[in-house]
Amino acid sequence: MFRAAVRLSVSGVRSLTRTQPWCQAALTSRCYSHGKEETDEEFDARWVTYFNKPDIDAWELRKGMNTLIGYDLVPEPKILEAALKACRRLNDLSTAIRILEAVKDKAGPHKEIYPYLIQELKPTLEDLGISTPEELGIDKV
Amino acid sequence: MSLPKPVMRGLLGKRLRFHLPIAFTLSIISAIAFKYAVTEPRKQAYADFYKQYDSVKEFNAMREAGIFESVRPTGE
Repeated sequence: MFRAAVRLSVSGVRSLTRTQPWCQAALTSRCYSHGKEETDEEFDARWVTYFNKPDIDAWELRKGMNTLIGYDLVPEPKILEAALKACRRLNDLSTAIRILEAVKDKAGPHKEIYPYLIQELKPTLEDLGISTPEELGIDKV
Repeated sequence: MSLPKPVMRGLLGKRLRFHLPIAFTLSIISAIAFKYAVTEPRKQAYADFYKQYDSVKEFNAMREAGIFESVRPTGE
């Protein structure tokens, strides 16, 4: 991303975005000039597999979530579902609710994303008995 | 009523691609505007002042005013 930012010069940027493919800053922090670029589906599948590890430990859960939040994307419902189930295996309700707060924050000004995520995650939330921050009243300052 | 899937990827990239060129352009325009609205007139004002500046005349005026210690006004 730094390399991409350095490339942005005033005179060049408009022509740059037209002539060069914009690097998927979401997927990796490097711009591939060679080699296969990972598709969105491969990315999602990789992260679902990461959180679905049956004996995932608390550190790996936190590390995974922190890395995932660092990307320029809001995680797909299926990734979040795997992460919430990992929280269940680790008996960590607080991280589960924190994940919901984090993805709401990741959406930034795009207010339509979080309601969609809650809609998609409703079955999992009910199944695992996870309350949303709104239900707990902790979403307001 | 089920919500449609919104765009969830590349939101920051899209924002930067839109705002960074504008930001750079506006900064450079402000710098150029400041140069020609402020610094160039100031430099011109100094140049104009010193074009007709007689340093000896100014020195003598200061001397007569008695502000120097090394050289007293004429007549002392």
